[in-house]
Amino acid sequence: MSKPTSQQSAELIDRYLQAVRFWLPRDGGQGDLIAELGEDLRSQIEDKEAELGHPLDKTETAAILKRCGSPMMVAGRLGPQRHLIGPALFPIYLFVLKMVLLWILVPVFLFIVGPANVANSGGNWGLAAASTIGQLWSGLFIAAGIITLVFAIIERTNTQLGTEIKWDPLKLPPVRKDESKPSRLKAACDFGFNIFGLVWLLLVPTYPFLILGPAAAFLKAGPLLHQFYLPFVLLSVVALVRSGITLARPQWAWFPLLSQLVQSVLMLILLHYMIQAITRAPSAFPFVVVQDAVRDSAKYIKVVAIVNVSLLVSVACTWLGVCIAAIIQIWALLRYLRKRPSTPRGIVSLILR
Amino acid sequence: MCYIVYIAYYMTNGTNGSEVFENLRLELRRGCLIVAVLAQLRTEQYGYTLRKALADDGLEIDEGTLYPLLRRLETQGLLASEWREQDKRNKRFYRLSAEGEAILQQLLEEWQRINTSLNKILQETSL
Repeated sequence: MSKPTSQQSAELIDRYLQAVRFWLPRDGGQGDLIAELGEDLRSQIEDKEAELGHPLDKTETAAILKRCGSPMMVAGRLGPQRHLIGPALFPIYLFVLKMVLLWILVPVFLFIVGPANVANSGGNWGLAAASTIGQLWSGLFIAAGIITLVFAIIERTNTQLGTEIKWDPLKLPPVRKDESKPSRLKAACDFGFNIFGLVWLLLVPTYPFLILGPAAAFLKAGPLLHQFYLPFVLLSVVALVRSGITLARPQWAWFPLLSQLVQSVLMLILLHYMIQAITRAPSAFPFVVVQDAVRDSAKYIKVVAIVNVSLLVSVACTWLGVCIAAIIQIWALLRYLRKRPSTPRGIVSLILR
Repeated sequence: MCYIVYIAYYMTNGTNGSEVFENLRLELRRGCLIVAVLAQLRTEQYGYTLRKALADDGLEIDEGTLYPLLRRLETQGLLASEWREQDKRNKRFYRLSAEGEAILQQLLEEWQRINTSLNKILQETSL
């Protein structure tokens, strides 16, 4: 036997209120809110019944409840506005989060934990990389969790922090220059140094003392330098062209960022092949060898060995430095892409035409 | 083809524009609703009749907005309420308190000042 319609409506309202109650915080005002909402809904049903001239059935009641919104949504609107970290603390929270995660945790994993894992992996680079990424991932989560918890506690215990911060307008940092526009002076210096570098590199085969100094009297370039000389010259030409374009087209704000990154990547590839050539056959690819005139001198052979090892260490350090530079350049490029002004609608329409 | 892409771009941005308008409209309404509720409660009413009265005057307000607002205004001492039985049902009746009356007066004066300034600005910019 079916229930009378008014009873069905009442039951539906009770079920709805129960669902809303579930999502409301259990403080002293919960009962009042539910009672008020229930009264409002019953009044709405009464009005509708008066308008239609008959008691509402289940579907018609459901339509009123549907218009009111889902229980979770209604509870969210009825309940007190709550937040884990309020607007006063949020900028500081975001700043600390960025500092710890991006500027402390990531570099620590990249330059300390990662190399340590590689050293302990016994040559298994893939396993070391996977292990580092796994550790970094969980480290990021734990650090973010701890920071959020600390700020949530501060929020709960000292909600007036934002308004109590003492500050002096006179101590604010000076206005920063627009970083997106490259400095003309810097670009000119870069261009000048690149010309100098290329000329120097082109003169080295004729005047070895330019690279070997006084040691040129008993040392000369080895097979490795001969083999990599042309790629280094080409890379210098690329650098010169890059700095020339930067100087000639200062309005291309994106160009220095992208071209420096490309140059760093090319440099890394070159250094990688160089290191690979040395590590595969150290004796076949020395940087420098003794001059023919002193070929049999044990003293000079020892000096050559020391110079070659020193140069290898220098190349390895350069590789690491370029790696760091590339990471910074990627960061700068991403920051530029994120901050660059959006294309005006008019320009877009012109481009599309 | 180019026009289709342009229309798609325009429509996407158009949607963002309406979202912005909706947010600004809600912001603009928020303060006005408080004044409207206080003014309406110069005569005692319960939640549903208050909502109906506001809707009849062109200010629709849903349950999820009205009841927390009433509670907040009561906590601030601007409203007084009591549960009473009417038509065999318990209803919570609200009315403006003495403090609420004074605050409403100040708010209405402020509203008049804003209105005058805004009209002046609009007249100046339309010249």
